Amino acid sequence: MPQQLAIIVLVDVGNALASSTLEGNTYLFDNMKLHGSENEGTGELVTAINGSYWRDGSQASEQVLNWLPYSLGSIPPTVPRGYEVERARQTDEQALAELQELAAKSTVPSSDAEAELNRIRRSVGTRIKTTRRTRGRMSGQKIVDVTGQVVTEDATAAASHPAPVITDIYGEAVESKIMYPAEYGSPDMVTDGWYWSATVDTSRPGTYSYMMRVQLHKLVQTNGELRWDPVNLTCASALKITSEPRRNAFTKAGVGPLPIPPAVRPGRGA
Amino acid sequence: MKTQVNIVAVVDVIGALSVKTLLDGNLCMVDDGAFDSAHQGTADLVTVVKPGQVVSWTALAVDLQTPVEIKNISFAPAGGRNGAAPSGPAMSPPGTQGTMTGGTHGQAHGQEESEGDKLDLDVWTGVVPHWMTPGVPYQYRLELQMYEGSNSVMSIDSPALMCQ
Repeated sequence: MPQQLAIIVLVDVGNALASSTLEGNTYLFDNMKLHGSENEGTGELVTAINGSYWRDGSQASEQVLNWLPYSLGSIPPTVPRGYEVERARQTDEQALAELQELAAKSTVPSSDAEAELNRIRRSVGTRIKTTRRTRGRMSGQKIVDVTGQVVTEDATAAASHPAPVITDIYGEAVESKIMYPAEYGSPDMVTDGWYWSATVDTSRPGTYSYMMRVQLHKLVQTNGELRWDPVNLTCASALKITSEPRRNAFTKAGVGPLPIPPAVRPGRGA
Repeated sequence: MKTQVNIVAVVDVIGALSVKTLLDGNLCMVDDGAFDSAHQGTADLVTVVKPGQVVSWTALAVDLQTPVEIKNISFAPAGGRNGAAPSGPAMSPPGTQGTMTGGTHGQAHGQEESEGDKLDLDVWTGVVPHWMTPGVPYQYRLELQMYEGSNSVMSIDSPALMCQ
């Protein structure tokens, strides 16, 4: 089968972080059910890969797999990539406008003004602290909940988790050179431009397991600062490879003449 | 002369399943033949060939992750369909497929097997026979299988092979 296939890795990030395991918190799904994949939508997916070979015994096609990690209970992946940044900018602008209004209203400090300032401070949200280690796309951003509202320090339970990131694919299938995974960059906005893909050698039938290393991010507060701390977890899956000969669909044997009815004149008046 | 001519049917599977037709730009056929094939990039492709050449058909999905396979290719019998006008989407429900071509060898495959069954193992390749009349388009029905289900098989009767 020369067509590429996808495996969706859906992670319940909140629960996985709470229980420090992907077991029971991962749902795998591929588009090979028609070809015999089993346990779709569970953590025990076995991806069916139908290899094929030519009549002379040589390999007819390899298989390309793509892994797409998604997060359960986060801002949907269909929302544009710059959404969080855009939301942060909007709240900044709003806060500035409100501050201006407040400044114009009262020239003398009062308890009213203090309460108002506190309200503005809350509505402006909290930015994630950037450290050398956590520099990247999430640093410096505000924490946003699933509805796109900024979240303040004391209400971080509602925060939308960043999407899981696959950082490695290894294990039996890789060690025995059944598949050759690699991380690729692409202009794909949904997966943030990075995805794992592998070419599968379909010439050796069998069931092979493999492991995925998945990085999640936990929101932690230290010394009054918020950071996304990376948490590395692993998750197992398997490939079931079968191999059958390719066949000529017209003759069911070798190549022969096309089954065009002889001695007819298609196209009236020809 | 090229010994092999490749015909690729590029299918917008999501588009085709949504509007239930392979027309309206959901099917685009191209070949790499050496002799000025007509209507490249449409569902009315007329591939110009020579006797003895090998013709090979493959289907590709525009969305790389939506499988599509060729279910059947069958050539029209005498005086059957005619003209350049496509005879419409001609959807045939699975199981009752391709009855218009009764008697041709082309439909040999598919009926005794369940839909979607190992279609990926099929190689649609054949040699252009010497008995074709030059200059006459021989139309064929191309049936495509897009995953499974009651509307998963769609066909088109407008493409053709023509001997130079």
